Order: sequence, then structure tokens, then C-alpha cells
Amino acid sequence: MPRRPVVKKEYTLGERVYLVEIAKGLRLTWKHFVFNIKASFRKGPHTVPTCWQYPEDRREIAPIFRGAHMLQLNDKGQELCVGCGMCARACPAKCITVKRGKPAEGEEDRYAGKTMCSSFEIDMLRCIFCGNCEKACPKNAIVLGQDYELAEYEPGLCIYDKKRLISNFLKAKAEGRLKPPPAPIPIDAPPVKKKTAVKKMAPGKTKAKGGERAEKGKGTSVKEEDKGPDK
Amino acid sequence: MADWQIDLIKVVFIWAWALLIAVVMTWVERRASAMMQDRLGPNRAGPFGLLQPLADGIKLFTKEDIIPERARKILFILGPILFALPAFSTYAVVPFGDKIVIGGKEIILQVSDVNIGFLYVLALSAIAVYGMVIGGWASNSKYSILGGLRATAQLISYEVPMGLALLTIVLLYGTFSLREIVLQQQGTFLGFLPNWGFFKQPVGFIIFLVAAYAEANRVPFDLPECESELVTGYHTEYGSMRLGLYLFGEYVNLVALSAITVSLFFGGWALPYVDMGKFLGPVSYGIASFLVFFLKQAFFLFLFVWVRWTVPRFRYDQLMGLGWKALIPLGLVNLFITALLVQLTT
Repeated sequence: MPRRPVVKKEYTLGERVYLVEIAKGLRLTWKHFVFNIKASFRKGPHTVPTCWQYPEDRREIAPIFRGAHMLQLNDKGQELCVGCGMCARACPAKCITVKRGKPAEGEEDRYAGKTMCSSFEIDMLRCIFCGNCEKACPKNAIVLGQDYELAEYEPGLCIYDKKRLISNFLKAKAEGRLKPPPAPIPIDAPPVKKKTAVKKMAPGKTKAKGGERAEKGKGTSVKEEDKGPDK
Repeated sequence: MADWQIDLIKVVFIWAWALLIAVVMTWVERRASAMMQDRLGPNRAGPFGLLQPLADGIKLFTKEDIIPERARKILFILGPILFALPAFSTYAVVPFGDKIVIGGKEIILQVSDVNIGFLYVLALSAIAVYGMVIGGWASNSKYSILGGLRATAQLISYEVPMGLALLTIVLLYGTFSLREIVLQQQGTFLGFLPNWGFFKQPVGFIIFLVAAYAEANRVPFDLPECESELVTGYHTEYGSMRLGLYLFGEYVNLVALSAITVSLFFGGWALPYVDMGKFLGPVSYGIASFLVFFLKQAFFLFLFVWVRWTVPRFRYDQLMGLGWKALIPLGLVNLFITALLVQLTT
């Protein structure tokens, strides 16, 4: 490709004297100055249009935002999660650990399903907020909420347990920031093929990671404490 | 009160006042620049961030004072002092108000009405150059020395047009005393224009203003400190309050320069068409004249900030070219014409 010749711009006398051009520039900065001064007296969430003062001004978050997780309850206050572990399987970061359990005697009305999760842990340090758990959940129990300030003073606090996930839900409910339920899947959709069992990791591999991680790696596959009565 | 007591009060007052303006200027600089660039600027410390300069000052004071091992110690210490002191001292001859009558005693609002106030200003601004040059040379660092070199060349070449511009003012008013010059700028000429130096010497004013920006090391002439090429130029190696003195001295310099600009070209404390002395009492007249002077000064202080965030930095050869090929010939021609006119009219 032939190079274009460099054309040197011929300056007019006014441009060479430079003072006029400075005056033009001053006019431009003055416009911005006045505009922003006026804007800073305006009432509203943020004063200078391009700046949001973060702790005070917050951006509006979309209803489908993917923030901190929560475990939903239904209208009767029953836990929706049945501990099936689909979320743990769908999770690409392998940060969810679910243990399925059977509700204790006399506590059946606390749970919507016949089974429940006896423990539900999410390692927020590993979570990538992809939302696959949400999509995988058959009961719409796990949902990614709108909280995004997830910093903690201790790394241990970043592993959310069931209690915390439910309290996240209660908080969101109190503030009216619940996620709208997903659109129903059309009935005439082709039936989902049953997946083959998840390949277990080679034992050597999990051991190589060592310590806690190996345990969690195992934890991603569902452990069934007792089998449900329907199976 | 004895005369020396009054003088002492004036000195302390004007010193504190200049310091206060300089402190507020650091705040104005940051907030106004933010507003011009659609940002917010420091707004956390105190109302509107007004305590930010105080916080910066405390930070600079409590930092460790480091003198580089290979630096020339005495010169290194002397640098910031030489830079800041002349800036403070310039204010001694500035007439910051007319006069105030308290208890039957007439007090002139000027620390000292020396009859060579003009030369004093020029001499002090020349000394301030040494602060930069010595600071740059003593720190034994490549960036500092380049900054010092640039400061030398730049300030020497802009001292000349500044002197030429000021000479035209001397020719016009026939005196070196700043107070005399301000007094001669009262009233109007040609029937409608205020009798200001600006209207009689527009070219001189422009030359003076450009040279003043170069003297104060402000953008577009801040080549001695030029962040993008020389880290921060002559004060790269400085830290803690020595750096603070350099930074602060710059603002005091601005205050002094805009005060000189106002008293030479914009009629000092007087309002253009109104004679305040006629309808104000002796005390309120003194205060009013002080405030008028301050307002005019504030405009030029803001202009420094305004220009800084509008105009990009000059290249080095452009800077020298402007100084030697444009301003000095222009100043000489202007001086010649002024001398001719003065000779013909008197």
C-alpha cells in the first residue's frame, strides 16, 4: 500500500498568533466549568453527570443482575431447595457443596419438597457469578441476587453457608429486591435427555491438589445421606 | 499606636493573608480543574473538601525528610527556601488597598511604599530562579538537573520581555513606586475608558502576562517540572516539607504575580467609574478598597488555573522561539512606540 504523503497544515495568521485560539479554548473549558458548577447544585443521586459518588450514589441494578447468591423460600416460608445438587454439577468453578438430607420428624412443613439440603455451602472466593446454578436449579431455589459488596475481613467468612444464603433472601425480600421468576419453559420443548453420570475425577488428581480443595472437589458430587422414600 | 506597631500589624496581616490565599488556591486549583474536566475533585475533607490543603499539609509535615546521599546538602536545603522566600517578600511592596483612617490616624494599606517598588519586584523574581536552579543542581539526579537547566534557560529568556513590558509602564507613569502608579490610574481617559494600564498598554499587558506565566512555571510554560518528561523536574528528589515549600511557593508566587498585574494594569484598588471615597466612611472605604483589590486579584488567580487546564505544554524549542523571536521584538517595538507617544504628548 502506498503511503499517503504527509500534508503539513498551513496555519492561518490567527492560528499562528495563538491568542485567539487560546481564547477559544478558554471558552470551551469555561462552558464545562459553568455546566458542572450548575450541576453540582442540582438535587439528585449524582451531581456531576459523569461521576457517581459511590457509597452515597449507587447505580440502579438490573433485575437479572448476578450478585451474591440466596436460597429462596416460597410464600409459606418453606425452603424450596430439595438438595438435588444440580447446581453443584452445573457449577464450572466447583464452588458449591450440597448435602442432601431428609427433614427430621415433625419438621416436614419447613420444607417444600420431600427432601432438603442438610448443608449448602458456596465458596464465594471461587464463584465466577456465571449464573449456571440458577439455570440448573429445577425448583428455582438458588438465585443470584443484587448484592455486590462481598468483601470480608476473613477468608473463612467468604464461604456462605445455608443460614447466610437464606438470610440473604430474607434481606432481599424485605427490601423488595427479589428476582422475578424465570420464564416458564414451553411444554412442547423436546424432552431433556437424561445425562450420564458425572465422571468422577481420577483419584490421583484430587489428591494432588491436596487439603481442603480435594475435599471440596469431592463435595461437588452429591453425597446422598439417605435415599429418599420415592427411590 | 506607634508607627512600628502599625507596620508590624500590616506585615503580619498581609503575610497571613497571602498564605491563606495560597492555601485556598491549592484547593481552587484542584476543584476548578475537576469542574473543567467533568470530575468532582477532592470533596471529602470538610465542607466541599475545603480542609484538603490542611490534610495535605499535615501529610507533608509528618513525612520522613530525606536528603539523597550524593546531594549537596547545604544547597539542597537552600533550594526551597530561596524559592519560597522571594515569593513571600514580593507582597511587601504591593498596594493592597488605598488607606484606612482609624482613630484619626491615616494608615496606607501597603507594607512599605518604597520608591523603587518596581525594581524590587523584578529583582526578587530573578532570585526565585535560583531556588529552582540550585534545587535541581544540588539533588544530583538526571531529571532534576534537566529541570534546573530548563529553568535557567526559560527564566532568563522570559525575564527580558517582562522587563520590557514593565518599562513601558514606567514610561507611561514616570515613577517606580507601585502606589503612585495605582493613584495615576484613577479616572478615565478618552472620555469612557477607565484610566487603566491595560487600556493604555494592551500589548505590554499581553507580554507581561505571558512572561508572568513563564516566571511562575505554570502551564503552558511549566517545562522545568514537566511531569511527562522529567518526572517532576527540579524537585524530583525532594520530599516532605521541602517539597511542600516548593509547591506552596508556587502558589504564593501566583498570588504575588496577580497582585502585581492588578496594580500595574488594572487600576489596583479603584473601581472603574465610581469613586468609593465619596460615599463611604473612612474605615469602610479602606475595607472596600481592599476587597476590590482582592476581587481583581482573584480573577487573575482563577485565570492561572483556567489557562492551565486549557492549554497544553509547549515544546522546548517553541518556548524559546516564542520568548526570543516573538516577545522580545514585540516588546522592543512596543517600548519604542510608547516612548515616541509619551515624548510627543508631553
